[in-house]
Amino acid sequence: MEQRTFDSVAVGDEMPPMVKHATTTQLFLYSAATHNPHRIHYDREYAAVEGHPDVLVHGPLQGAWLSQFVTDWAGPRGRMLHLSWQNRARAYPNRDLTFRGKVTGVGEENGRRVVHLDVWEENDEGQVLMPGKATVALP
Amino acid sequence: MTESLVPEESRKLVGERLSEPVTATIVAADAHRFAYAAGDLNPLYFDEDAAREAGYTGLVCPPTYLNYATTVDKPMSELRPDGLYRGGGRNIPLRVNRSMFGGEEWDFVATVYMGDTVTAESRLLSLEEKSGGAGAFVLTTRETTFTNQHGTVVARARQVGISR
Repeated sequence: MEQRTFDSVAVGDEMPPMVKHATTTQLFLYSAATHNPHRIHYDREYAAVEGHPDVLVHGPLQGAWLSQFVTDWAGPRGRMLHLSWQNRARAYPNRDLTFRGKVTGVGEENGRRVVHLDVWEENDEGQVLMPGKATVALP
Repeated sequence: MTESLVPEESRKLVGERLSEPVTATIVAADAHRFAYAAGDLNPLYFDEDAAREAGYTGLVCPPTYLNYATTVDKPMSELRPDGLYRGGGRNIPLRVNRSMFGGEEWDFVATVYMGDTVTAESRLLSLEEKSGGAGAFVLTTRETTFTNQHGTVVARARQVGISR
């Protein structure tokens, strides 16, 4: 894993995008790993009852991806201090979901040099499904 | 007038602790199952040497896994038709049938290691009844504080649920 450093980062920098493409098998594994029996994630017939055209990708799975996007960008010696997101629109399996972000600020928090990021997830039509923010400390 | 989706007894819970604290050990095999399912193969979770080289003292727990290490399972008799547990897992009675995850806000205060014992304590921060295009819904925000075996607060998570 590459290490990012505070001095190499500038406001306005764009993070290299990360693409996720969940299969229904992955959704099943995530439901199992997180003790989540919610039927909208594995029962297509039931999902239709709630008005969903397909099973849905879990909000927290998209959050875990956002966390991965930020920690991969920061590198092993980076430390994620804050991460927040809003699940605003539905995400479906078998479609590309792209994570993007940019540096919005640099500063200090408790004596550590930190970088503030705007991060978000888009679907294959460019619709933002999940906006978020992160703060990471960098060496 | 239509009945509020939020029973009076639930309104009284705002600001209150939602359950007894839950204490659990971060089991590496379980945390790895979570990381595999998310497709996040960060060496810090799997490779002790890589973790030490990055300044950690052992294998690191994937940040958002904390929520699931401290999940309490219930008998199937507690399941609603949508597959969720009654009370949304933490005993907030609402007159709703469906719930969606609305988002989350994390403060990661200190590193959580595999093998740590973590105590989660949840409080109900707010219950807001709203009306939207698809009818009335309730925004539930709960805050969970995670403390490790040394008494150090390691993380706080504010989780928003949308119920209708």
